Amino acid sequence: MELQLTTEQTAFRDEVRSFLKEKLPDDIRDASKGAGHLTAEMFTRWHGILAEKGWSVPLWPEKHGGTGWSPVEYAIFDEECHSFGAPKVLPFSVSMLGPVLIAFGNDHLKEKFLPGIIDGSDWWCQGFSEPGSGSDLASLKTSAVREGDHYIVNGQKTWTTLGQHADWIFCLVRTDTNAPKPQMGISFILMPMDLPGIEVRPIITLDGSHEVNEVFFDNVKVPAEYLVGEENKGWTYAKFLLQNERIGIAGIGGSKEQLYGLKRLAAAEKKNGKPLIEDQNFKTKLAEVEIELRALDITNKRMLVETERGMDPGPVSSMLKIRGSEVAQRLYELKMEASGLYALPFQPELETEGWNDEMIGSLENAISAPRYLNTRKISIFGGSNEIQRGIISKMVLGF
Amino acid sequence: MNFDFSEEQKMLVQSLERSLAKSYTFEDYRSQIADKVSHVPENWNQLAELGVMAMPLPEAAGGFDGNNVDVMAVCTELGRRLVTEPYVSSAVVSAYIVEATSTVSEELLPQIATGEVQIAAGFYEPGERHDALASNTKATEAGGIWKLSGRKCVVMGADSADKLIVSADAGGPSLFLVDPKANGVSLRSYQLLDGRGAADIILEGAEGTLLGEAGGAADIIEAAVDRGAAALTADTLGAMQESSTLTQEYLRTRTQFGRPIGSFQVLAHRMVDLLVELEQVKSIAMEAAVEARNEDAETRKKSVSAAKAKVGAASRTFGQECIQMHGGIGMTDEYALGAYVKRMIVNETVYGDTDYHLNRFADL
Repeated sequence: MELQLTTEQTAFRDEVRSFLKEKLPDDIRDASKGAGHLTAEMFTRWHGILAEKGWSVPLWPEKHGGTGWSPVEYAIFDEECHSFGAPKVLPFSVSMLGPVLIAFGNDHLKEKFLPGIIDGSDWWCQGFSEPGSGSDLASLKTSAVREGDHYIVNGQKTWTTLGQHADWIFCLVRTDTNAPKPQMGISFILMPMDLPGIEVRPIITLDGSHEVNEVFFDNVKVPAEYLVGEENKGWTYAKFLLQNERIGIAGIGGSKEQLYGLKRLAAAEKKNGKPLIEDQNFKTKLAEVEIELRALDITNKRMLVETERGMDPGPVSSMLKIRGSEVAQRLYELKMEASGLYALPFQPELETEGWNDEMIGSLENAISAPRYLNTRKISIFGGSNEIQRGIISKMVLGF
Repeated sequence: MNFDFSEEQKMLVQSLERSLAKSYTFEDYRSQIADKVSHVPENWNQLAELGVMAMPLPEAAGGFDGNNVDVMAVCTELGRRLVTEPYVSSAVVSAYIVEATSTVSEELLPQIATGEVQIAAGFYEPGERHDALASNTKATEAGGIWKLSGRKCVVMGADSADKLIVSADAGGPSLFLVDPKANGVSLRSYQLLDGRGAADIILEGAEGTLLGEAGGAADIIEAAVDRGAAALTADTLGAMQESSTLTQEYLRTRTQFGRPIGSFQVLAHRMVDLLVELEQVKSIAMEAAVEARNEDAETRKKSVSAAKAKVGAASRTFGQECIQMHGGIGMTDEYALGAYVKRMIVNETVYGDTDYHLNRFADL
């Protein structure tokens, strides 16, 4: 048993570090480490920089542009990116759609869409959830009816993350309402967002931010060439897509970064004239979450090593999602607590326009409560923690 | 033993409920927030007309001589309706200080009772966390005039107050009445997470009227904070009751996999845990309401700290669980749950947070 990185892995980590040191633009790093308002342009620019290096789609097969990194190497890359303040490459195109197109798309779709995913020039969003279909995704109702060379799409998607910036959307739509099981009548289709009849409406979340949207489809005429794979096989592709989210699901890199941030904050805050970090109560809470994160880090690496050996890690990825989200949420909660009264002033402009000398409290204080509130989403999206527990119990207990 | 509100208290709550249902809906609350408004004079006056501001004050000052259970009844309702008016800071905390120090009470108390004058009281300072007695604000006297310098942070209601009360060190904790428009006083006003208003008060040689004795206000400050803390536990109780109602309703009506999600045992049992917690919160908030004015300081502190610690911790979990059981809809700004969750966070943090009161309880 050996917990340290191998010599090769250490060399790889150093290579990642020197790349990030050299290539990560200051403004992007500052936005991602500071107030955290990353603009769409910053995401796209950073994606382009990674693409130039050949690192934008690391987990894809090498012949399609992947790096051939092992899962452990990818985890090292991910952690270093977080630590340097590099934004996460958005998952919608790279981790979700790309692998589906590679596995199930025809050559035409691959040629048309993979280059724009690799270099980040196309912004993709995901159209899965609907108002009536959250955890029960297979009950979705948005319909696509074939008419000649087109599908006519009607319905509504929701929780569409960053859809306001998107050029394209990949959607699950119902193409057969008479299928014996709801899963069997679903297809996977791509649409440009500027088609007539598509309307995006913002959903403002309780922290005051605009990340998610509703997307309405009113008789949208979609060329049939944008159907991925076979009609009514969309559920299979969607399941494949969700499985690909496994690596990085625990959010270790992000949580480690939050832990450092929490310690810095607790060192800056005072209680009875001493740094809060020396307060016995707070120290204990900090230690509890840090220990949980240490264990999670190793659990995550165990899973990665098994995946590397080609073994199916079973329910571990659901476990990682559950505990990873809990640890992340706890870290944000403690940041809010550490901020004390200065967690309370609501200063949403800090997130959108940068800050100036009018700020109340420190920047960390000011964003602590909105971030705490925003982070409640991570145990809900991508299959809620209740759904994850259901997956595990089904695998382990059989029901 | 009797755990009911009196007939008068029930009537007060009913008239408050009726009046707010008519004039202050969730949509009104939302549009107020969108306009960045925390204090609406008509809403304030309406509360005054219902008598809730006069209620806790002595009869001699135009009050109704109400007790602290009356305050609980009112605050629970204000929490349920997300009222952003600075009731607790003016009618509960500041009014008590004015009454207890008696320097200016003859003139000011009747004006507080009618709502004509709104007062906000600031104790806490940057870097001193939840210790209301730790003051770096200095008061110095020259020729019978007190001058104050320092900073008070996140003072609820200070953004709209006609008068300010601040604590300062004048050879020990002391209290001063300050005119927000006076020279040397500046306010940095803002809305809190839940839309209630607050400000940082910056004093640079500002003139203040000493309330009570110089250096002798520690007991009054602690008692004032305890009244505020007890009132906020009642406010949170109201917010929790509404959150619970919303969540139960959602569990009954939202269907997934062809059945109401509340029929899934994992959600049903978690809802039940919240209901157990809600009863516990109600009980401890009642204790705080009854004891918040106890003349024995130790009894008072013990009860208030028990309530503030219990309610604070319970409300945090409550908010998280209610959002989680709703799923995505619980995350949206246009759904009322988020507003309650934010109100509970503010209530948990003001007048001593959970850790502060847990420690104080343990040390008593």
